[in-house]
Amino acid sequence: MKALLTFVFMIVSLKAFSHPVIYKDGWAINSSNMAKYSNNYVLYSFTNRFAVGVEHDRFDKVDVGLLKFNSLVARHNGDDSQANLYFHGGVGKEIYNYGAEADWETRVLYTSIKHLRFEGPRYQDYYVTQGRVGLSPVKTGFDKLQIWFMVQGMVIHNVEDTVMITPMLRFFYHNVLWEVGSSTRGDWMLNLMVHY
Amino acid sequence: MKMLILMTVFFALSAFAAETTVNVKGMVCSMCAQGLEKKFSEAGVDKIHVDLDKKLVHLEGKDLSDEEIRKIITWAGYEAGDISRK
Repeated sequence: MKALLTFVFMIVSLKAFSHPVIYKDGWAINSSNMAKYSNNYVLYSFTNRFAVGVEHDRFDKVDVGLLKFNSLVARHNGDDSQANLYFHGGVGKEIYNYGAEADWETRVLYTSIKHLRFEGPRYQDYYVTQGRVGLSPVKTGFDKLQIWFMVQGMVIHNVEDTVMITPMLRFFYHNVLWEVGSSTRGDWMLNLMVHY
Repeated sequence: MKMLILMTVFFALSAFAAETTVNVKGMVCSMCAQGLEKKFSEAGVDKIHVDLDKKLVHLEGKDLSDEEIRKIITWAGYEAGDISRK
């Protein structure tokens, strides 16, 4: 039953995608799921620099709800690359979060790093630190499926204090992105993201 | 006779439908392309073709000014380069 509900949630999440801020009037929906951590959000970008929305995070068995405010602090549009720096902010009931995220990508290379802190009087502090590198062996067009080979390293303070390494596959098709992986310890990972 | 004039006007307009090509910096993924397609479609452009290899967006139909094109690309989060028309 739990697996069925998870599957249904994934399908529902397909309505949208994932960057902290996207294009003006765009919606981003993200559902990232691992054994001991999940992150789900719906964000509306009212300019190409600012987005607001709601977010749910699960740290093992602790659930956190937040109103989010994200900002694209800087973007560099190169001839063959793009680099971004984002600020994350959020407020919930007796908890708040903040952090930063940076990425750099070309059509065949991808790197990103993110650090988020969740703090509040009723909760123990959670710090999420994540780094990713990826490679797409073939350049494909907008209307074709694109496949990336990626590796993620992640530490979640007070949940998983040693680095979890997760090799994964990322698939892109139009405005839909999905990722499937398994950590070196055998923990699953399943992410879905859509922009619209 | 009226029909003939209407047909002549129709074909003449079709022959002169605006075709614009824009170079876009930072367009490296299909998500970027999707955002641009959506914004140009909302602006009333009939046909939009994104060429990720050449970093070009081809627009057909509604003739947007350079200023409008640059504004749409900026809203989508990218940077417009050269704009050419046929």
